[in-house]
Amino acid sequence: MYGRGESPARGRAPKLSLAEELVREWEREDEEFRELRRRSADWKYIEGQPPHVRAALLYFIERGDRYVAAKIAGLTVDEFDELRRRANIPVVV
Amino acid sequence: MMLGVVDACFLIDWSRYRRRELLASLFEAILVHEEVLAQLRSPSAVDFASRLLARGALRLYPWSTAEEELYVQLRDEVALDPRIPSLERPDLLCLVIARRTGAVLLTENLGVLRVVQFHPAYSRVTAWTALEVLEQMVYRGLIEVGSVEEFLNIISEYCEDAKHVFSSRRMKDVTGRVRAWLGR
Repeated sequence: MYGRGESPARGRAPKLSLAEELVREWEREDEEFRELRRRSADWKYIEGQPPHVRAALLYFIERGDRYVAAKIAGLTVDEFDELRRRANIPVVV
Repeated sequence: MMLGVVDACFLIDWSRYRRRELLASLFEAILVHEEVLAQLRSPSAVDFASRLLARGALRLYPWSTAEEELYVQLRDEVALDPRIPSLERPDLLCLVIARRTGAVLLTENLGVLRVVQFHPAYSRVTAWTALEVLEQMVYRGLIEVGSVEEFLNIISEYCEDAKHVFSSRRMKDVTGRVRAWLGR
């Protein structure tokens, strides 16, 4: 968290570099987006899918990455997107 | 009028939108790499892209050796960064085209948006999701709204058609700008 030899001043938040702030913002975004996908997903539909498709949809819920999800399912991005829509999982950006 | 360059995720999602035909009116031309076109499979996306190509609104980008070198460099820089959602070659090609031509990059890809946020050479690229595209359509009179609520209804239509959700931060930024524009 802190650089070598650094410690936070008492009662004051440590100053973050721009890169660290960006990474924290991305982590916050990732959590917000993951929760939106989880909440919206049709879990009954997902559980009824063949194993590789189910795995791809679960991966997409966790990471929101259509490309890797499509590869897990053995489909193109566009073909995977049809499954995503049926499973009611939103794209969040 | 502007130039645009489009990636597969944007085309796939936008092709589902009830007002999809407006896209061609926002840009002088929209560039597309042939490898992006090759990613399209669904009837809606293929049909939409074909019609844009037939009208000359969508144009194949003539890729060069110099651009291939930029692609390899960018790939090496971002491929192993675990914070960047994986980027396929066609998406990186779009980033290179946007950088080289100054075209607005149309994308729904979080990895692409993050590269633009942090990469020194690509931070000058303007990247729009459908949300910013709809915002620009309002400013240019392609979509008429009289209030922020009407704008939010337009966004809801897109989210419903494309099964999309925009982040709270992005929504706050865009509605703030539209509110200021309406009150000008």
